[in-house]
Amino acid sequence: MSAARRVQQWATFGRMWYLYDAKWQNPFHTANKIKDYLTGSTKPIYHPLNDCGDHVVVINSRDIAMPGIEWEKRVYFHHTGYPGGASWTLAWELHQKDPTLVLRKAVYNQLSKNLLRRGRIARLHIFPDDKIPDSILQNISGQIRQLRPVPKRLDHYSEEEVKNFPKVFDWPREYIIQ
Amino acid sequence: MAWRGVLGLRLLGSASRSMTRSSINPELISVAGSAPPSRHIAVSSSLFVKEIIIDTSDKQTTIEGVYKESDRTELLVKTEHTECGSCPLCALQLNLKHTDVLVLSQFLRSDGCMLPKRITGLCNPQQKKVTQLVAMSQKAGLMPNLAPSWSKKDPKKRFGSRKLNRYFDEKTIKIKI
Repeated sequence: MSAARRVQQWATFGRMWYLYDAKWQNPFHTANKIKDYLTGSTKPIYHPLNDCGDHVVVINSRDIAMPGIEWEKRVYFHHTGYPGGASWTLAWELHQKDPTLVLRKAVYNQLSKNLLRRGRIARLHIFPDDKIPDSILQNISGQIRQLRPVPKRLDHYSEEEVKNFPKVFDWPREYIIQ
Repeated sequence: MAWRGVLGLRLLGSASRSMTRSSINPELISVAGSAPPSRHIAVSSSLFVKEIIIDTSDKQTTIEGVYKESDRTELLVKTEHTECGSCPLCALQLNLKHTDVLVLSQFLRSDGCMLPKRITGLCNPQQKKVTQLVAMSQKAGLMPNLAPSWSKKDPKKRFGSRKLNRYFDEKTIKIKI
């Protein structure tokens, strides 16, 4: 194989390491996106037996956001196998115990339910904040775009920005500002 | 209370009239022969937009109240529809989201309460919509500084599930405008 062909072979079949920032993102929508990268569905060389899946490194999984009252309503069921071993855990309780589990279970449940699932979930690395081990940080070769815009808090704007922002209505003549 | 001004006096045609600061001035309380004026008593100093006290001291001390221009008039948004006296949000036709904090915070007091319709000038459905958007924004923890004095002002210090991030869908607000 010539050198050019060899490089082309590495470029097509090489495994990518993607970074994804999960701050203020919906875990289930992100799981839908991440599963495509883990299976390798985004590649033109995809085949289920091709082992073309990529690694995905997720950071800030502690800061994921769910819509409305989903944190209080979503329930995770677990049975130990023993009688009386059924437990129902609310999403927020599970998140407090392990901030990576909600996203991990979301991705695991979105992957196709075959023997390849275990290998694919092993290529997903989730971190609760932005501290990543150096060995993984060196491997990262790409980034996945966030799905939802990250909102900005009012106290994160400077005082000048808030003061000079165009106003929608003017105070009436006899108003005491509170 | 806001209508009647500081001293509880009716509005007169002339711009200037005597008034006092909100913090109780001992010199002005005890006036011989007259009842103490009813005043808007504030625990903290309130900002009077429209009144200024001017003291001149020769042998006389005159306390004068003068109407002041509000500092907002230059920053007002002016389009072709805003000047005709309609509701400001209907005129601007903004697609407001609960994350548009800079706009929504204009409709709030410093302790996080909504301003009434007579101050904001919004029409009924818009006022309701903004109230719901503000509630969403506060639940999402996007305006922690506009909160009552006893609150911790940090969404991470809330209890249980409330400290976690959440977002809302504006389509759940079913108000016909």
